[in-house]
Amino acid sequence: MIRLAARGVLLQFKILSQSAFDMLNAAFWPLVFATIAYYLFRSGSHARSLFDASLGATVMTMWATCGIGAAFAVQWQRRLGTLELLVASPTPFIALLAPITIAYAALGIYSLASTLLWGRVLFGIPVDPVHPFLFVVSLPAAILAIGMLGLLVSSTLILYRAAGALGNSLEYPIWLATGLLVPLSLLPGWVRPISWLLAPTWGMRALRESALGGSPLPAIGWCLVTSAAYAALAAVFLGHFERLAREKASFALT
Amino acid sequence: MPVVETHELRRVYKSTTGFVRRRVKATEAVKGVSLQIEEGELFGLLGPNGAGKTTTIKILTTLLLPTSGSATVLGFDVAKQAKEVRRQIGYVFGGERGLYDRLSALDNLRYFADIYRVPPRAQRSRIDELLELVGLKGRERERVETYSRGMKQRLHIARGLVHDPPVLFLDEPTIGLDPVGARELRGTIAGLKDAGKTILLTTHYMFEADDLCDRIAVIASGEIVAEGTPATLKSRVAERHVIEIEVFGAEAAAIDRVRALEGVSSVAVEDHDQAQLLVVQSARGAALVDSLLRELDGTRIGRVVSREPTLEDAYVDLVGAT
Repeated sequence: MIRLAARGVLLQFKILSQSAFDMLNAAFWPLVFATIAYYLFRSGSHARSLFDASLGATVMTMWATCGIGAAFAVQWQRRLGTLELLVASPTPFIALLAPITIAYAALGIYSLASTLLWGRVLFGIPVDPVHPFLFVVSLPAAILAIGMLGLLVSSTLILYRAAGALGNSLEYPIWLATGLLVPLSLLPGWVRPISWLLAPTWGMRALRESALGGSPLPAIGWCLVTSAAYAALAAVFLGHFERLAREKASFALT
Repeated sequence: MPVVETHELRRVYKSTTGFVRRRVKATEAVKGVSLQIEEGELFGLLGPNGAGKTTTIKILTTLLLPTSGSATVLGFDVAKQAKEVRRQIGYVFGGERGLYDRLSALDNLRYFADIYRVPPRAQRSRIDELLELVGLKGRERERVETYSRGMKQRLHIARGLVHDPPVLFLDEPTIGLDPVGARELRGTIAGLKDAGKTILLTTHYMFEADDLCDRIAVIASGEIVAEGTPATLKSRVAERHVIEIEVFGAEAAAIDRVRALEGVSSVAVEDHDQAQLLVVQSARGAALVDSLLRELDGTRIGRVVSREPTLEDAYVDLVGAT
């Protein structure tokens, strides 16, 4: 199973690297977000530091690439005509979908590095996390949590041909509901419980508190808890939806 | 014990139309199909588009659940023991899709070898063997998107065989291939049969079924209308004679008059660009050419050919009767 997961991640990277458009996209967006974040918070009245803004931009990019990319995975397999073949194999579908998600999630490392480097070089934003070790731990925890949210979204879209569009529509609501775009304190109170259920909230908190000071360990723990919950839910959904798809004949190649 | 067996297999598709007043439309794609395929047999499921071939194969490959009836592969129930069935089968469909086209053939085969848990040590020799079998040796490191359609189809076959399954489902594998590519692929399929694989092949090419299959079932409108060896099916029309008449712009009324002629068993109309080909089956010995030409008076006539019946004529007769 580990070999299969490693092969899946490797091949997904190969596939992504074969497209100049995908590569340009992956390279370009973190820089755009970092630039917007800098100008937004430089001229704004909020007292958040520029480093904080860069971290927010990083997690936004992570969700844009990891979460949405993972959500598109089912649609992409359907378009290629490989969805039926994967489902018709004896390996549980979640074991085939998760490596794709992880590959997208791993792009989050690049997102972080490029965003922070771009901010440092162009705008002089300091990169000096208060807890460097915990910052390094927070990053994979955040990536895992965001990737698993993508997997969960992906698993619920197996029945629908318009899965890609539906996945895309989740990009901005997640940015908002997890406090990446504006602080949660500015949003209505009922949004807060929703944000607690969303992994990017804890990913952002873990990165922020390890970078700017605080206790990131609870947030890292919540990243792991939400990841495990998302993975378990995705496994249940995939099993259930696979059966429904066999009943409804929605594993069509087109 | 048959390797593949279906009993009164039925599949109904439901679709909804309308937004406010939703209406459910049920289409019965497979209506009580029963068949048995023995070990090492190459069994052809022959039928026109929409006859229920692909639905049957999708039920057998566990991608669809039957609405009623049962199906087993090597004794495993396709609805309840999907995982066991999936380990034992290879599934190949026609067309250019179903491959990771940005990857090489080698990467595609390695990935599917991992998915089917082919032990790492056995993978290299197995993949080499398959590349030789399908004639892609030397091209395996090229990206699949650079392959011709025939090469992609052969790679599909290799992918379906990567875990050396005893049972193979081939769903119209030669569709869209050029004649040379299709012939090469038929050679590969014949080789698989010689190697002892049990194969269910769906096709609507008569000559392909005639050339490859031990037994054929003709399916039309979701029902098996005939089953037997190619020779048995041909014998259904052995006592007949076939007259082909090339016509240009024949009116429906003229064709109906031909159909109504005494001694005419069936009339099939094939459109060929500006011309139509009327394939008229009649009882052997009936001298019909003059009568046929009389009924087509006023229609421009091309060539007229009188010939012995083929498997295709048997098929047209069977399908046309439903």
